[in-house]
Amino acid sequence: MTAALRPDASDLGLIGYYLGKVLLGLGVLQLIPLAVALAFGEWNSASSFAIGASIAVLIWALSDALLATRRSLTWAHGMVIVALSWLFGAIVTSIPMLLSGRFSGPLPALFESMSALTTTGMSVIHDLDHTPISEDLFRHLLQISGGLGIVIVVLSVFSAGGARVSTLYVSEARDERVLPNIIRTARFIFQVASTLFVVFTSALFVALLSGGFTPGRALYHAVNLFFASFATGGFSVMQASMIYYHSPWVELLVAFVMLAGTFSFGLHLSLWRGSATEVFRHLETRTLALTSLVFFALMTFGLLRAGSYDSLEPLLRKGLFTLASAVSSTGHQVNVGDTYLYDWGVLAPAAIVGAMAIGGMASSTAGGIKAMRIGIAFKAMTHEIRRILLPESAMVITTYHAGKPQVLRDQTARAATTVLLLFIASFLVGAVVGLVYGDLDITQTLFESVSVGANIGISIGVVSPEMPSGLMAVYIVQMWLGRLEFVAVFALLGYVAALARGRAGA
Amino acid sequence: MNPSRPSAPTRWILLGTIGAIVLTILGAVWLEAVHPQLDTDGNRVEGVPPLATTDVPSCRRTVDSEPISRIRETFPRGGRVGSVQIYACPAAYDGLTVSYVGEVVGELLPRDGGAWAQVNDDDYALVTGPVVGHREHAGFNTGLSVWLDAPLVEDITAPGRPALRGDVVLLRGTILRADPDDGGGITLRATELETLAPPLEIDPPLHVLQVVVAGVLSVLALAATLWAGRVRRR
Repeated sequence: MTAALRPDASDLGLIGYYLGKVLLGLGVLQLIPLAVALAFGEWNSASSFAIGASIAVLIWALSDALLATRRSLTWAHGMVIVALSWLFGAIVTSIPMLLSGRFSGPLPALFESMSALTTTGMSVIHDLDHTPISEDLFRHLLQISGGLGIVIVVLSVFSAGGARVSTLYVSEARDERVLPNIIRTARFIFQVASTLFVVFTSALFVALLSGGFTPGRALYHAVNLFFASFATGGFSVMQASMIYYHSPWVELLVAFVMLAGTFSFGLHLSLWRGSATEVFRHLETRTLALTSLVFFALMTFGLLRAGSYDSLEPLLRKGLFTLASAVSSTGHQVNVGDTYLYDWGVLAPAAIVGAMAIGGMASSTAGGIKAMRIGIAFKAMTHEIRRILLPESAMVITTYHAGKPQVLRDQTARAATTVLLLFIASFLVGAVVGLVYGDLDITQTLFESVSVGANIGISIGVVSPEMPSGLMAVYIVQMWLGRLEFVAVFALLGYVAALARGRAGA
Repeated sequence: MNPSRPSAPTRWILLGTIGAIVLTILGAVWLEAVHPQLDTDGNRVEGVPPLATTDVPSCRRTVDSEPISRIRETFPRGGRVGSVQIYACPAAYDGLTVSYVGEVVGELLPRDGGAWAQVNDDDYALVTGPVVGHREHAGFNTGLSVWLDAPLVEDITAPGRPALRGDVVLLRGTILRADPDDGGGITLRATELETLAPPLEIDPPLHVLQVVVAGVLSVLALAATLWAGRVRRR
């Protein structure tokens, strides 16, 4: 394609063809809760999953029969496919949610599925504590699929070759290719997830058994806990979230899984290959460690000053766990949401907001601005300060370690700060829209907006089934933008504008 | 043809896609609207004492001290309190002896000397029953973590599950804002328990129309898959 061709039917056909494959993946995924529903005699749930899966498979079959093509994907196509995949994926998976009767309408059902896929973990479900097993499992399956990256996972499985889908990898907010081949990258991600699944689900199973669970219920909770934690999603089987377990061992194991989820798959590969030093030298690890330390100090000081807790155990089990949940962008809660507002003073929630905004590592399952961007933005700032302070003739070079020693380039710094600013803009817009509704103050709206926009999921109580529809719609967009880190969605908007004008960049 | 507008096939693809999405959502909304409902009138729990106060004053630690002292001075010893009231002002209820009514959900988690239980006092527990046979939405589940001493645990016959409302119990005990035995959580340490309602099993009505739609769509999906396979082979 040349640079200014009108997107025509063949472009849309190409996009539709790949979208169909993604929806097929989400349709096949629904066969798992369908089987569980049949096994447990949850007949209404089974029929809702049959409908959801059938719609997805129908769309795929039609797109496969009518739109199959051997054309290569351009970057514009890739971006548009990814942006639409997450939107259409959320719409299609919201159908069984809507049919479950646990949501007040199509918008809350879409909120739930978008929250699940983007691994935000905010929920607007009614009566979670009596939810059928299959429906609960479906929510958690969506989280792990979204955490691993639905587009790349599905296309790696259903596409013939990696070359054609490699453009989609970066579009799905994965800017670090772990292995040269995209299929091998996807397989490595599966390998890591599968290994950790076996190890941590077993450990959680034992911890839950010793905590008083029956074997069947322990397995059910362990599987869902792993999905929600490794995906850094934060959904829970019970409304009480982590409070429900009353177990420091479960909290400790979940904290490890959350941290594993927030580690980039590049660093997982380094650990896999026995190169632990790479982990400690990486700019992202150092940034995350440093910022977490600062936020932990602030939070601890805030909690002690407010008198919220007066001994070490609560500081660790309530404070440190919440911070880990925020940093990893998981959103598991060991406190009822109101606690952050009414019982944590002012400074500690502010520290949590800061940690949530930064989030985890790039190319992981985590959300947020990402430690890499914060590290690069900090390096760029010190670079500028050094440039000003040193003589004009001095050549200022700033380096950092990310896989290998790298020189900080203007383009890298610009890209990092642009996304950083876009995240901040998203946080502020969400906070202001929340204020417009009148009943909330800035502490609440900013906390919730950062949590939603960074795909974290810790709630101060704004998100609920009864929240205003307008705010819910804004949060859905924030989750979508945050997960794709803006670029793919902006590309989609550009594509739509070009369609309207009659041209598109290729 | 106007060069500044999308061509006819492009327009039809876009309109067709949007139309299909809208139709699908409307279809799902309609299907959900005609879901058969159970009558929930008989699910209301009888004998629940009234709340000591229906006000839900909120107080922020280090900021609002007036509601804290007012609640502590006026709350009647052993009066019934709701979980929402406690969470809105935890400091006010710390150490107070209260009554609390709710449904035991999930599982009892036995530990030395007793068990932890999650006890919900939302409308699903006390008024309507679980959302499996009706659509009377009442928001999130709300409840308290409750420590039950060993003798009290024996009185619980079945905690709530999908399609089962667990025992609804009247508890008396002490609220702890930061319970040291629970890592600093807000808990109720119960010393007395009275069962107000035994477990209630709900038999959700089968949505026959939804099953029919699922069957038709499954056949269509299978047929389309076979057709796509044939087209691909050609």
